[in-house]
Amino acid sequence: MAFLIGCPNCGERNVYEFQFGGEQVVRPKPDAATLEWTKYFYVRRNVAGDQREWWYHKLGCRKWFVALRDTTTNKVHETSWPHEALS
Amino acid sequence: MASPADRGRLAEQGYQVTNRAKTVALNINGRPVHAYHGDTVGSALYASGMRIFSRSFKYHRSRGLLCVSGQCANCLVTVDGIPNVRACTERVVEGMDVRQQNAWPSVEHDAMSIIDRFDRLMPVGFYYKTFHTPKAFWKLVQPIIRRMTGLGSVPDKDQPVRHIRHEYAHADVAVVGGGPAGMSAALAAAGAGAQVMLIDDQPSLGGHLRYDVASHDALPGIGKSKGYEAAGRLRAEVESSANIVVLSDASAFGLYDGNLLGIDAGNRTVKLRAKRIVVATGSIETPLTFDRNDLPGVMLTTGLQRLMHLYGVRPGSTAIVGTTGDQGYQAALDMFHAGLRVAVVADARPEFPADLEAAVELQAHGVLILPSHALTRAEGVKKAVGAVVTRLEDGQITMEERQFDGDVIAMSGGFQPASGLLHQLGAGSKYDAVLDETVPMELPAGLHSAGEVNGVHDLSAIIAQGRQTGVEAFAALGGNGSANVAQASQEVSATTTAVSPQVDMAQGAKQFVCFCEDVTARDIAKGIDEGFADVQTLKRYSTVTQGPCQGKMCHRAFAKITAGQTGRSMDETGATTSRPPMTPVSLGALAGPSHRPIKHTSMDRLHRELGARMIDSNVWHRPQMYGSPQEEAANVRQGVGIIDVSTLGKLDVRGVDAPALLDKLYTHHFSTLRPGRVRYGVICSDNGTIMDDGTVTRLADDHYFVTTSTASVETIEGWFKWWMAGTDMCAHVMDITSGLAAINVAGPLARETLAKLTDVDVSVKGFRYMRSKQGEVAGVPTTLLRIGFVGESGWELHFPAEYGEHMWNALMEAGAEFGIKPFGTEAQRILRLEKMHIITNHDTDILSNPIDAHMEWVVKLEKRDFIGRGALVAATENPGRTRLVGFVMQDGAVPHDGSPVVAGFAPIGKVTSSRLSPTIGKGFGLAWIPVDLAEEGKSIQILVDGKTHDADVTLEPVYDPDGTKLRE
Repeated sequence: MAFLIGCPNCGERNVYEFQFGGEQVVRPKPDAATLEWTKYFYVRRNVAGDQREWWYHKLGCRKWFVALRDTTTNKVHETSWPHEALS
Repeated sequence: MASPADRGRLAEQGYQVTNRAKTVALNINGRPVHAYHGDTVGSALYASGMRIFSRSFKYHRSRGLLCVSGQCANCLVTVDGIPNVRACTERVVEGMDVRQQNAWPSVEHDAMSIIDRFDRLMPVGFYYKTFHTPKAFWKLVQPIIRRMTGLGSVPDKDQPVRHIRHEYAHADVAVVGGGPAGMSAALAAAGAGAQVMLIDDQPSLGGHLRYDVASHDALPGIGKSKGYEAAGRLRAEVESSANIVVLSDASAFGLYDGNLLGIDAGNRTVKLRAKRIVVATGSIETPLTFDRNDLPGVMLTTGLQRLMHLYGVRPGSTAIVGTTGDQGYQAALDMFHAGLRVAVVADARPEFPADLEAAVELQAHGVLILPSHALTRAEGVKKAVGAVVTRLEDGQITMEERQFDGDVIAMSGGFQPASGLLHQLGAGSKYDAVLDETVPMELPAGLHSAGEVNGVHDLSAIIAQGRQTGVEAFAALGGNGSANVAQASQEVSATTTAVSPQVDMAQGAKQFVCFCEDVTARDIAKGIDEGFADVQTLKRYSTVTQGPCQGKMCHRAFAKITAGQTGRSMDETGATTSRPPMTPVSLGALAGPSHRPIKHTSMDRLHRELGARMIDSNVWHRPQMYGSPQEEAANVRQGVGIIDVSTLGKLDVRGVDAPALLDKLYTHHFSTLRPGRVRYGVICSDNGTIMDDGTVTRLADDHYFVTTSTASVETIEGWFKWWMAGTDMCAHVMDITSGLAAINVAGPLARETLAKLTDVDVSVKGFRYMRSKQGEVAGVPTTLLRIGFVGESGWELHFPAEYGEHMWNALMEAGAEFGIKPFGTEAQRILRLEKMHIITNHDTDILSNPIDAHMEWVVKLEKRDFIGRGALVAATENPGRTRLVGFVMQDGAVPHDGSPVVAGFAPIGKVTSSRLSPTIGKGFGLAWIPVDLAEEGKSIQILVDGKTHDADVTLEPVYDPDGTKLRE
């Protein structure tokens, strides 16, 4: 694994500078049913293909951002700040 | 200068890389051998008369030089204690100690070669078939098999460690391969303005042209020239280009995502990231498959050319040549000119190549040339003494044999593009029937290929294609990932044709396909018969292509035999997967140097002066003890002690939403915490498990000071930021761990000590437990927290790290009259354990939640939401099966961290922390035990050093359970 990720702040860097934050999931409302919480804790889509996911530039600017990555080829199509990606 | 090395040598020539003015002495098996500067271990030993270089992996058959290019495993030796060094590429160094391996007592007379006679007992896949039952038998034979097979032996521990540096490099265009295509591509790209790095695995640029003594007409930009002269011209141009950096003696062993090249450059590993990569790695000559084709003396024609032209070594006296294309003729002619007798050239193709100059010249010299003939058997026991050549009809072997005497059997089974790097990143391949080669195609974006790797063998075409590819690589730099331009190979018509004869299984049992692993044509046929008809499964079953050469010598023959036996085309047969490393790489080159940063606190020098024994604590070095931990602990209980706690993680959290942020992240309330107060808090992940704990101090309405455990600060900083990401929460988190030093002053006399150094009111009523104040201590601006997890009244002082030594010395001086002593992490562990304070991630693990850890009091489920709430609601309703409790031993035993809690001898729980308590004089600690036992006063058994001991469960700290001492 040696692909590059474009940090929205620092530019293209080696993937080893980043911490993976997993695929984007939506946290249930506080009063959601146990089943909904359980799904949120343990069930992931585990997409083979393009996925929106969290990355943290741990050895850089220490900021979280969202990347659109093809999980089968590790090609990172785009990265954006969370408020852009979520809006 | 005459030397014993000269007997095996040819006349000196300008194109040779050896310098006969400089002799080098090395030892082989303890015996001196003379070589010349520029020689390899292999060329020097061959010139000295050595023919048997090694013993084979499985059958211990004698093996000699084969490829002379570092591809095959035939010449592996141990050099200066390092095993499996390729003799044919390892250059000689004065005093080098070379030892042959994998044989006893010597490679010349190897007792284990007896195995070769019992090859019938070792059929393909014999590991899967034999020694399975009875089970005990395998234990018996396994060490024997392990000793008899394999290559080399692991160096002794006292071998000097070779340090391999790791370097990072960047280039616009990286060119792999320093032959005519690579040099032309580098020159074209550099000429257009690109920064180029040219990687070549040889000591000097030129590739196969370095040993090409033939004349070539009308080379682009060079004109009529001999091969080695053309190499010299191109080399000089490359060396004078300011835009090209040349990396010689460096093999690119892997191509990874994002155009990252892994390069093994001896004492350095270079990780090169290039915008475009031109792969010009050439092609590899492959062996022919015939009976006893592994005998020493049977060599690839290019290997013989390297021996003769690069090192001036005489290969032998009489040569027998078997070829499937033009290459065999040129090699035969070179040997003829070197003074060898050429007994025969057997060409598998039906027609004499009348327009090939080398063939015509050989014929003019009266050399016997036999079209439609193939080598079918080498004669000899330990070394080749002759060969049998058989007539072919429609590619099939007939009964018409002719026998020839000769000590050099030169074989050329055609060329296979060295396209492994391209395939590592996903390039496809296609079999070209005219070339009889499998060429790469459909290159991934960012990659180019040029020259022989594309199946182009005409030198003019190679140079032209190299130049064109260099221009294309440069042009692609400007565009935004424009589609890879179609390779130039289409416009270059195939100039060579080749044909390889069908392998006839009846021709003998010793027709080796894979020399590394001793796999024969019959083994492959048998594997197919047994149902392993796919190359991928057949590879795993037969171990073919799995040796050190990774298929470079054998994949082509393997694929052809598989295609022939299964009746499928070469494309249908396909290829095994190409993975790094392309060439053998030492583990050190991959592992790199140990790079472990260590942090020292600003008081580190003082700890060492005090004779502290240091211990690793995550990235920090901390004093574990200065003397006796029990005495250090007792001094805290009775007088006053100080401990350097600078390693605590420290976060500065500010902003109008800081209270809301902490309420969300901690299980406890922090928005209700009043400024000037401190509260202990636990952070859970969203599934309710404990991540970390620490104190939170509210310095102002919108300003908190957070401490984390030593190892967690980076994780917790990231965690804080993650929950803010994408929200409109207005808060800012900053890691200030290194900026602040911290000392904990604790004990009944801590107040008296501190009062001498500060105007801050530290009286019982003026500075209550769990409060904070800011003020000067010993003249240094300090945040004072009245907390103390050691169980005594105490203060945690946080102040600028620059004043570490000053503060420490001031406290030691002020406390001298009260008997102040420093204490280390071990005393601290005893003291905090007496107070039943857990250490997160030591007493808890990634499955522990605060409910089961007996810390319900920190969980405020009445808060509408916090991270982990959903799971903790569930955990309250359905508690786990074990709980974390305290225990006190009934007898004098002291369990260890990790001692099992048992019922009978069955483990039912585990001790996480245990020490001897100075307060009660007994072993005590924390343990996870089943819920039904987790009640005050119940009895449990703990296994300590093989014996069970009784302990009483306690839910209260053994020291000051009411916490009155803390508040005094």
